[in-house]
Amino acid sequence: MSAKVPRNFRLLEELEKGEKGIGDGSCSYGLEDGDDILMSNWNGTIIGPGHTVHENRIYSLKIFCGENYPDQRPDVQFVSRVNLPFVNQTNGKVDPTKLPVLSNWSRALSIENILVEIRKYVNFFYYFLATFARCCREMASFNNRKLPQPPEGSVF
Amino acid sequence: MQTALPKETERLVADPAPGISALPHDDNLRYFDVIIEGPGGSPFANGKFKLELFLPEEYPMAPPKVRFLTKIYHPNIDKLGRICLDILKDKWSPALQIRTVLLSIQALLSAPNPDDPLATDVAKHYKEDEKDAQRVSQEWTQKYAV
Repeated sequence: MSAKVPRNFRLLEELEKGEKGIGDGSCSYGLEDGDDILMSNWNGTIIGPGHTVHENRIYSLKIFCGENYPDQRPDVQFVSRVNLPFVNQTNGKVDPTKLPVLSNWSRALSIENILVEIRKYVNFFYYFLATFARCCREMASFNNRKLPQPPEGSVF
Repeated sequence: MQTALPKETERLVADPAPGISALPHDDNLRYFDVIIEGPGGSPFANGKFKLELFLPEEYPMAPPKVRFLTKIYHPNIDKLGRICLDILKDKWSPALQIRTVLLSIQALLSAPNPDDPLATDVAKHYKEDEKDAQRVSQEWTQKYAV
């Protein structure tokens, strides 16, 4: 008989892992209220990409684990304003159909997995936009560049 | 080991220890609803405390996981109901059983140990003014453990 870890003990495990800190510290999470015996409301933090003059943006999120967690995926909502295709621009809610970790949810996944995946997208869109902006600048400077041309009608 | 589990459960249900009940969930035989009555003569007397207990895959090589669901003012039990008890951690032995664990938790209610605290503020209260701390424990028992 394989052991199916009940919701509360699963969340206690996640809490203990979150308290120790995960990976390189770019994501963290914990209970919103340390008194919440049902452990439903969580805070998450994602540190955005560095390497820029506007070093390390911090994004806060709220995660709600209902009574059927982890069989049912949690609700995820950005508190920080962020422009990403899977985030509702009026309320910050993450559209679960647009984020693979939520649309393909299974009880083997965790709050940590969600934050790590969101961070990947944050980084991806950040670099995509940065690269796009750089290309635009280069194109513009290329078009504006006045290459000296030989006089009209001259031949080799 | 697979047959050991239901037998232990059977005994636990058929012959419960006084002041303790443990019933497995229908859909998860490793997950128990537990009720422990507060021991007489302690500030938790007459309280009925709800707990949940889970036998992990490694049980009995690893200890059961237990926590209080009822709020309790006790130096070795924190706000989330987690319990600081040696047999649930490094002093676990496969010879111990669910019944022993629950009896030990009941005994912990009679004999709080503020020198090995989990709820540091409660432990401080117990060390500085035991009478007053016991009064709060009793108040919480009357308020939450009914």
